[in-house]
This record gives sequence, structure tokens and C-alpha cells, in this order.
Amino acid sequence: MTPEAHSRKEPPAADPAPAAPRSLAEALRARDDASLAALLRARPDLITPVPTDLAQLAARAATRASVVRALERLDRFALQTAQALAVAADPATYDELLGLLAGDGGPEADPVTAEALPRALGTLREQALVWGTDERLRLVRTAREMLAPSPQHPSPTGLGPTVAEATAGMSPGRVQEILTATGLPTTHDAVSAVAALTALFTDRARTSALLATAPAESLDVLSRLVWGPPYGQVTPRPAPHLRWLLDRGLLLPTAPGTVVLPREVALHLRSGHAHRRTEPLPPAVETAATHRPQGVDASAAGQAYTALATIEELLRDWDEGGPLVLRAGGLSVRDLKRTAVALDLPEPAAAFWVELAYAAGLLASDSEVDERYAATPAYDEWRELPPAERWTRLATAWLTATRTPGLVGGRDAKDRTLSALGPGLDRSAAPEVRHRVLELLAALPEGAAPTTESILARLSWERPPRGDRTTGDDLRSRLARWALSEAETLGVTGRGALSAHGRALLGPHPDQSPPPAGPGDKLPVHHRHHRPVHGDPLTAAERTAAASHAARLLAPLLPEPLDHVLLQADLTAVAPGPLERPLAEVLGVLADIESKGGATVYRFTPASVRRALDAGRSAADLHAFLATHSRTPVPQPLSYLIDDVARRHGHLRVGAASAYVRCDDDAVLNEILADKRAASLRLRRLAPTVLAAQTDPASLLDGLRSLGFAPAAESAEGDVLIARAHTHRTPPRTAPAPVPDGPPAPDAALLTAALRAIRAGDLAATAPRKSGGVPATGGELPRTSAAETLATVQAAVLTGGSLWIGYVNAEGAASQRLIAPVRVEGGFVTAYDHTADEVRTYALHRITGVAEPADEQP
Amino acid sequence: MSGPLIVQSDKTLLLEVDHEQADDCRRAIAPFAELERAPEHIHTYRVTPLGLWNARAAGHDAEQVVDALVQYSRYPVPHALLVDIAETMDRYGRLTLTKHPAHGLVLTTTDRPVLEEVLRSKRIAPLVGARIDPDSVAVHPSERGQIKQTLLKLGWPAEDLAGYVDGEAHPIELREDGWSLRAYQKQAVENFWHGGSGVVVLPCGAGKTLVGAGSMAQAKATTLILVTNTVSARQWKHELVKRTSLTEDEIGEYSGTKKEIRPVTIATYQVLTTKRKGVYPHLELFDSRDWGLIVYDEVHLLPAPVFKFTADLQARRRLGLTATLVREDGRESDVFSLIGPKRFDAPWKEIEAQGYIAPADCVEVRVNLTDSERLAYATAETEEKYRFCATTDTKRKVTEALVRRFAGQQILVIGQYIDQLDELGEHLGAPVIKGETSNAQREKLFDAFREGEISVLVVSKVANFSIDLPEATVAIQVSGTFGSRQEEAQRLGRVLRPKADGHQAHFYSVVARDTIDQDFAAHRQRFLAEQGYAYRIMDADELLAGES
Repeated sequence: MTPEAHSRKEPPAADPAPAAPRSLAEALRARDDASLAALLRARPDLITPVPTDLAQLAARAATRASVVRALERLDRFALQTAQALAVAADPATYDELLGLLAGDGGPEADPVTAEALPRALGTLREQALVWGTDERLRLVRTAREMLAPSPQHPSPTGLGPTVAEATAGMSPGRVQEILTATGLPTTHDAVSAVAALTALFTDRARTSALLATAPAESLDVLSRLVWGPPYGQVTPRPAPHLRWLLDRGLLLPTAPGTVVLPREVALHLRSGHAHRRTEPLPPAVETAATHRPQGVDASAAGQAYTALATIEELLRDWDEGGPLVLRAGGLSVRDLKRTAVALDLPEPAAAFWVELAYAAGLLASDSEVDERYAATPAYDEWRELPPAERWTRLATAWLTATRTPGLVGGRDAKDRTLSALGPGLDRSAAPEVRHRVLELLAALPEGAAPTTESILARLSWERPPRGDRTTGDDLRSRLARWALSEAETLGVTGRGALSAHGRALLGPHPDQSPPPAGPGDKLPVHHRHHRPVHGDPLTAAERTAAASHAARLLAPLLPEPLDHVLLQADLTAVAPGPLERPLAEVLGVLADIESKGGATVYRFTPASVRRALDAGRSAADLHAFLATHSRTPVPQPLSYLIDDVARRHGHLRVGAASAYVRCDDDAVLNEILADKRAASLRLRRLAPTVLAAQTDPASLLDGLRSLGFAPAAESAEGDVLIARAHTHRTPPRTAPAPVPDGPPAPDAALLTAALRAIRAGDLAATAPRKSGGVPATGGELPRTSAAETLATVQAAVLTGGSLWIGYVNAEGAASQRLIAPVRVEGGFVTAYDHTADEVRTYALHRITGVAEPADEQP
Repeated sequence: MSGPLIVQSDKTLLLEVDHEQADDCRRAIAPFAELERAPEHIHTYRVTPLGLWNARAAGHDAEQVVDALVQYSRYPVPHALLVDIAETMDRYGRLTLTKHPAHGLVLTTTDRPVLEEVLRSKRIAPLVGARIDPDSVAVHPSERGQIKQTLLKLGWPAEDLAGYVDGEAHPIELREDGWSLRAYQKQAVENFWHGGSGVVVLPCGAGKTLVGAGSMAQAKATTLILVTNTVSARQWKHELVKRTSLTEDEIGEYSGTKKEIRPVTIATYQVLTTKRKGVYPHLELFDSRDWGLIVYDEVHLLPAPVFKFTADLQARRRLGLTATLVREDGRESDVFSLIGPKRFDAPWKEIEAQGYIAPADCVEVRVNLTDSERLAYATAETEEKYRFCATTDTKRKVTEALVRRFAGQQILVIGQYIDQLDELGEHLGAPVIKGETSNAQREKLFDAFREGEISVLVVSKVANFSIDLPEATVAIQVSGTFGSRQEEAQRLGRVLRPKADGHQAHFYSVVARDTIDQDFAAHRQRFLAEQGYAYRIMDADELLAGES
């Protein structure tokens, strides 16, 4: 069965309807429910909102936004197929399309492409980007417009316009000249002439014959243009070899000085290929190294354990009030730094853990007035889970999160720093990329670690980055790189290979994948009824099942918590493995952690022991605790350390009292304490002659007086205070400065200076321009009503005349100015100020009045 | 999966000593990991870039290191750590120092960007000469040590293939009549000789002098020996005459009093670092003969000028000897880069187990200050506080009680403050050796002590090092140089020479409770505690009560 026969017998989308569809709507109408469901699954934007009928569905499927979305989600070969269709005739036949993709050699020369084409075409049909029978394949018009080459949007094919398009604006005579030059008979009209030329260029034998006569330099020019961009510059008087090409229509002028290689000629030179490199098959994922699967699992489990420990350490660090939430949301750079130091990790790693805890719902902001981050109640529940389940909670949260910690520290479109836990970190493609990366890993044999480059190449084939960039800095490539490193950090992978528990997280699907679709490739990218990869492809139930399966696999690999430590005479304790939680908690208080990893090294210091005593433990408790949990006898220096610190601990007591009573006669104090009425004073005996009270001195005095005593107040130095009438005073204050109405009265010096300045200005305004003059009111500010002012100013704008105005500036200083108004709008007058010799703007409401210049006055 | 080793994320390795595979594991990790602490149950090793590069220099590759870790590790070793180790080791040998017949000393690279990177460094530029070709650059021979040290700091250690000069030959043989080098001494000599240069770390009393003598017998060349003081110089001379074919006439002493230069010359650090008119007139001693071997005794005390000069001596074999390679100034890595890597290291307890050093009972006696002393201590100036609490009167009572308890044994009383020592000497009726005591007087007193004519000797810090007093069995430390770890170890070392009757040594450190004396004591004890010496703590009252 040849690929063509295959595709004809089993057209992927179109029913073998008797009549070929005449529109996309008709083509859709002919499709069965399953096939329509596949369309809607692939392009969910088509059913939001649900269209009323198929015509509307077809119309919506042809909208630009929807087509862009659909094209962006095509794999590279499907996209190349669409691009080939866009440069082919409309409609095109299956064979023409195959020719563009496989080249002139056809299926024999390129069987791989020929075999892959029906699948790609099927995808395009399924997604309603292509419709029609194999004889009349039509690309949806919007897609065609987007993919067809134009000078503004060069196509990735590097092809130029067709002969017909390029000669559209050419004079009929010129076309006939070209015909003559190529040795074709002249025709009566331009249309047939273009058709004849097109026929010549699409005929391989005749074109080859024509090119055989070309000068070598001309062929060089063609070879430079053949793979695009197809445009070139020529001088007004082209060199002979260019002339030769232009004469024969092998290059056609598009604009003065610019020529283009017509599509037909380019295709001839490319032997029919629309793309320099047709990529019908996904690139295989290459293996960088193969490790023992047990080693991989153990290594991943080790990392998984570290993940649990790190999250716990992080939240323990934030236990007594985490960092403040920034006003814009998120964690400040300084807090992230501090956290990184506390965790002994680089900042990006710290950002990852913080974001992971957030994604898993273990930490959130407390929404109080002083908003801080803190552990959630879910964290306490999480801590009670067995370790393996704790890990799967983290891993599933990671797998489905759209938050991407890798972005932290970068900048957003508005050049704001992206902070951990802050806004702007969500990337909707993240879960899908993560999932896909893990699927690719799962497709490798157990223990095989892939090369990052091949993973990236594969992902970029499956979803080519916009503009066909292959630089590897597009979002998906970055997401994929982050996914790989995060998977390693989290213990989903070990030594670069997917662990058994990581595999289990993906659910049962990868194991049941159909036979390989590419060389060394165990996973079909798009088979007939493939599951579209949008986000997490597992249902909630499947995910839970997968998680518990992963937990079962992981559990035996995690180290068993220990109930003992080794105490040493150098005042250290070594826990040769993870400790049971209560033990770890007590020890964490009693000693400082010196090194972490598989084991934990604790060091006892006076400060750490004091901390444990402060936490309410007695020396006896601590001795008993150490004796219980130590495998070895408690070293004497350690017992001594505890006793020594305990001996001094609490030796001094500190408390708060707001007043005291002292009396040399303890009998009086006994009496006060015994008096029931004194209960409200909340007195406590500190020493035989001293009582401490929780009430303030004034109430205490009153209280004691009401008991019939005659107490005297005492100053801080112990002197008796003489009671005076209670007068209330503010702290020292200065008297208010007077606020004058308007500007302060100027003093003589200021007045002189001001006058001198005014005179100078006046001179400047009048001397060069004889027409200028003093205002009518002579010295005083002109005063007119607002309406009159406006009317006069507007009139002056029309006549172009000058005016005297009285103006009060923002500081309240009044002045007279000679202005020539230019424009009046929005309450402002724009005018040329003769006084200042520049254009200024005046607020209308500040103009006290206007007056005509003196010499214009009658 | 239950190996003896636990790999920590900070690149320390914890070795469980009681594990059956512990010895195999120790051997596997010793080439690249530094033993940091050796208390009773778990020994701590540290993997440092320097250690990894030394391992490379000794011919181990990254794979061996990774294998050793993976094989003995109890838990999976973090992949990142393995990658880091491989990458670190890979940095070694990109640059090599070789002898070029035409250009002399040449720095060559196998990785051109690395050479470009280091040449762009401001610190390297003054040390190199002309570029010979894209891959090599000339280095001034006198900058050999300097450039090695600087490259090490830049993280691109150079492999030194330029070799050593043989020096002026001189016949030296060990005279093993009735004694022979101990197994570990032989091992130390062998490791050193194989490595070319380096440091041998042995506990006090474990016979470092003999390692020096053994190395000289290997080198069979003129030797310069640098020691801490004159008494020690005499002891070296005495020992060399006794143990080797060398005669008195072949050994010169270069010190404050004598300036002899002979085939084997023993010089003191003090005379080398004497500065006159801004120059070190005696440093030319290094060039006065074509030395084939330079021995640095107590290398942890190496003074800075000698460091600098040693950098210029990279073509000569260098042997560093020490018991305690801890410097409170943190210049251990300079010792390693200039003298050479650690070639041999034996934990104290291991040598003790073999019976070559006496077992010791370390006791910290805590004395309480009297109430009036406490008040005085509380009001003392910060810089006076230590002196005040270290010289409390109660210490004298305790010391007297201890001397009475060990009456009949050879007792050393060691302290920091001269007036305290004088007072103790007066009360105990014992002679005092301090800085102002003449060398002749010192030797006379030491001899009398060795002979048993004097049973109690009060010494200041002049006796910290290299004083061989085999019969001292009890040391009482009343004060010290603040928190110096190596001083504590050296002082313990004074009583660790194996005793004729094989009995235990006693080391008493008298400490004032609840003062900085106690804090310093805790710090001082760390080195020994890490070597597995467990201090017992005793109350002075208990001791004095037992007395009456």
C-alpha cells in the first residue's frame, strides 16, 4: 500500500461523500461526531462560546486569532505541510503537495516524507485548517494569507511571489518582450502571456534548457536567491548577467531597484522542494549516559528526601513569622537572599523551593494588616503524612503548576523585577512542557539519561517556536531546561534519568504506547486518536492513582528515620541518618546544626543549651533525653555543659511591674497584702519590704489611701515627690508662624530692586518697539470682568494685536505684561510675551484684566 | 546499602569508625579527603579543591574518587556533588610548569582559554615573562612558588613538572643499631619522598625528628633544618648524631649565638627573621649552600617572612613536620601550597593504640572565683579580663594540691603569665624557666629534670615546643595563650613520650569557671577533643576535698 493509496482509501477527515465539499462549512458538515469532537478538543477556543451551527463554527475556525492559535500548536512537519500548501496552487492536489515536500523525486526519492504526509495532512484536516478532497486540497483562506510569502512577511520557505503575482503591475509590452527573449511565441493578451511563462518555468525540462544557456555569473545570482530571501537589489543599469536574467523573466522587478526570484523558478532550482530541510520525522531523543536503574532510583530518592527536608527547613525558618509580602506581591530580593543563606542554597534554588511550597499549598500570605508569608494549615497536615506521600504531594504540585520559579530575578515586559511568590510568574505552557519532557524521558529505556539538546530539539519540532527560531532561548526551550533541572532537584529524575517513581507519576499511559513512529523513538507524536497534550493530561482520579503508585515505589527507597544519635566528647552529636521528628525537633533546639546531608551533625554550645532551657526544659529532662537517645554513654563534658548552663539559667529573673510599694516595716506590707480590698491593686511581694503592683502609681496611691494609708510618691531617685495640682503640659512647642493673606509686604530693599527690574523690563519692552506703551490705567493693574477679558483676548487672537494684561502668578505676585495672544483654549492663553520676549502660557483666571496698548487708544 | 560513609551536602564525609568496612573506606578516601576531626565514633573528613588536586597530583583520577564515595556511601551521593568533584579535578593539569631547554621555566596549557583567563589576572601578570607561543608563557624561575600559589587561588592549579634540584650530595645513613624506624615513620618518609615535597603530621612524641632523619638519609644531600628555638636545635643535633652516620662536625648550628654553616645546618626561625635596617640579613642562609633538602620543624609556626622566602625555594625538596596543623591565622593552605601537600597524617589515638605515645588522662579542673574576685573580674577592663581570671589565687591552691597528689612523679607546671609562674615557683619551691632564662640555664634545668634531680618545673610558653622531656608524666596548665588550639596540643605533647614503665600521662588544665577562661579553654580543647581526647571535668572543690 503506497502512502497515496493509503491516504485516498482512508482520508483522515473527509467522508467519502459523493460530492466534494464546496466550503469549509460543508466539509465540516460531512464530518462525523468523533472527528468534530477531535477538532474541538484540539481547538477548544472554537466552543467558547458554543457556536450555533456549523457555518458559525466554520467561520470561527477561519478567524485570524483562532487560526494563529491552531498554527502555533502544530508540529514542525504539519506546519511545513501547511506552508507548502500556502505556496501551492489553490486548490492543490495531493500529488502537488507531495511534490513540494518530497521534491521532484517524489515518494521514491523521499519515502519518509511520503509516508509521513498523510498523517500531517490528517492533522491539518482534523484541525479544520485544510479541507477538500485529495484532488482539491484547500488551506483555510486565513491560514493561506498568513503563510503565503509576501514582502512584509517572508515565509519560512524562502519563496517569492509567483510569476503571475510578480508581473501583475507590469506593462503588457514588457511581458511580451520577456516571452520573446525566452523564445516563446507572443500572445494577444497579458493573461495568456503570463500563463505561457508560468508553464515554461514549471516545466523542468524546458527551464533547464533555458538555464543551460545562462552565463555562469547569472547562475551564481540565482543560487544566492534560491533559498531565500528571494529579493535582491539591482542598480538602474544592471550588469549584463543580471540583464540576461531580467530579460528572460528569471528575475522580475518588484519595485525600482528591487528584483525577485519568481516562485516557479525557485522551485525549479530547488527541484521542487518548498523547504530547504523537510523534517517529516521528530528528531530522536539521544541518550547521554545510561546508569543502573537502581542507582538512578536511589539517587532520585536521596534527592526526594532532600526535597522534603528542605521544604520543612524552609517553613521552620518561617515558623515564627515569615518575610513580609511586598506591596506588589511576592518576596523581596533581600528576603529571598536571607532565605537562601538560611537554607545554604543559591538564590535560584531557594526560589524554586519557596515556589514549590507555595504551589503545593503549604505556604501562603496570611492576609493580615502586616501581610506576611507563613505556613498554611495544610502544611501541618502534610507533615503528618508518610514521607513518600509527602513527596508525591510536592511532585504532583510541581507537575501541574503554571508558576515557573525559573523566571524569578528576571524582568517582565515593563522591566519590573519578577519576585518569588510575586505576580507575573505564571506560564500556562509550563505544566504541558514539564509533562512532555517527562514523557520523553519515560520513552527512553530505564536508566538512560538524555542530552538536553536532543530534548530541546524534539520539543521544538513538536511545537516550533514562532518565527521558526532555533536559538533555544524561546519560552518553551527555557521551560524545558527548567523542567529538567527541577526534576533532578525534586528527585523525579536521578542522575538525569527518569526514576521508577517519577515514571509512575506520569500514569500508566507511556507503557502502552503503540509502536515507534521514528528512529529510536518509542512515542508517537500524533497518531490518529492521540490525546492532546494540554496541561496535565491525567484526570484527577488518574493523578491520584499515579501518585499513590509513585509513593509505593518511593517509600522503600527513603531512609528509615532513626531514634538515636551518637554523642561525642567534642560536644557534637551525629545523627547517622534522618531522625524521627520529635527527636529531631528537640535536638534542633538543644544543639546547633553544623552540617546536613545524609546525616546531621549537631554541636552543643552554651547558647544552644540555654535555648533548650528557655524552651522550658530542665537540666534533668535534657540529661534523660540524651541518655535515652544516645547509643553511646553521654560524654562527661556534655553533662557538665548542660549542668553548667542550667546552674546559671534563671538565676536572674526579669518581670514587669508598673509601680511598687516599699516600707521598712514588713508588718504594714503584711497588712496590705491581707486586706481584701487591695486585691484590685494586684500586689505581689518581691522581698520582705517590697511589693510590686500591676497598677499605675497614681491608682496605687489612691488605692492605698482608700485603705487608710498615707503613702507618698517616690521619684526614680527615691526622693519623695511633693504632690501638686495636676497641670497638664505639652512637650515644648514653638508658637505658630503667622500666615499673611497674600504675599508679604516687601521691604525697602526689595521694593527698590523690584522697581529697578520693572523699569528695565519696561524699557526693554518699549524702547525697541515704538508701538508699545504704558497701559491706559497707568501703573495700576488693568481690571476687567472675566467675560470682557476673554472677549478681548479672543479678539486679539483674531486681529493679531497686542494687549496689556495684569497677571498674578502662582506665588501671588502681580505684574503687567504686554502680550500678543496666539491661542485661547482650555482656560489658558498662549501668547507672545513682549516683556519677557518669549512665548508663554497664562491662566485666564489669573489675568486681572486687559487693556489696549496706549498708542492704539484713541 | 549500609556503608560506613555518609556524604554531607557541605562536602564533609562522616566515617563511622566502628563499621566493619571503616578501614577500607578510610584508605579509599584518604588520598583526597582531609581528616578534620577524629573523635570516638564518627570521623569527619572534608573534601576540598586542594585535596582533590593533591589527589590528582598523586595520580588519582576523578573516577576513583567518585567510585570510592559511591561504593562506601550509606545514602545515595548527590549527583551535583559528584559532578562538582569531577569538574574540580578536571581543572588540575590544564596548566603545567615545565623546564624548557631554551626558555627555562615555562607555563604550558592544554586548554588555551584557561591560559588566556589566568594571564588576564592582575596577580599573574607580574609573574610571567614573554609569551613563547599561543599555549605557553615563560615564568621567572624565582616566581615558581608565587605563581603556583596564585594559580591555586585562581582555581587553576598548575601541575609542577619542573622537578627538583638534587643539591650538593652528602652521605647520610641511618644508624639503626638496636632501634629501627617504626612502620608509620617509614610510611611517612616513603610518602614524602615519593611526593617530592610536603608536610608530615605526627602527634607530639611520635618521633618526628626520626622522620626528618629518615628523609635526610633518603636525600643523601646537604640539609637545612629550621627549628623553633635553640634548645630544640641542640636536641635535633643530639638526635641526628645518635641516629645517623653524621658526626658532630658535620652539623652546624645557626642561631643567635653561633653562625656555623655545615653540610647539615640547623637554624632557628628567630635568627632567620631577625630584621636589621629593613632587611633580613640571615635569609641568605637559604642560598649559602646548594641545599638538597629543607626541613621545617613545627611548620605550623612558620613565620611570614619565611613563607615568602619559601616561595622562592620551589626547586628544592621541602619537608614540613608538625603535630598540629592548625593555625589560628588560617594560613594552613599557604603551608600546603608552599611547602607541599600533606603527605602523611596519623590520628593521635592511632599512634597511642600502637603504644608509641603514652595514653593520657586529660582533666579540666574548674575553680570557682571567690566573691571578691568575681566582682573584680566583672569590673576589669576587657583586655585584662583573661589575665585576671587566668591568674586567680584559687588556681595556685589547686596546683599545689595536684603537685602533692602526684608527688614523686615528674611534673611540669605550664603557664602564660610570668608573675603567676614566679609565684607558683615560690610556693612549690620549684625552679622557673621563662623567656629571660639563659639557654645554658635552661639546658641545665632540663637536664636536671630529665635526671630526676628536680621533680617539679615551672615553665612558660618557651617550653611549648620541641622540648624533649621523656620522663614528664604530669602537666598542669594554669593559663595559656587565649584560645590557641595548637598550644594545648603541644603542651599535652610534653607528657606523651612513652614512659619507661608504660604508665599513663596526666594533663590537668586549671580553668576559672564562668569566665572567658572557660570559653578559651573550650576552644583550646577542640583540637584534642577532635583527635579523640575526651576531657574529664572536675570541680576544684572535689579535688581539694579529696586532698584533706
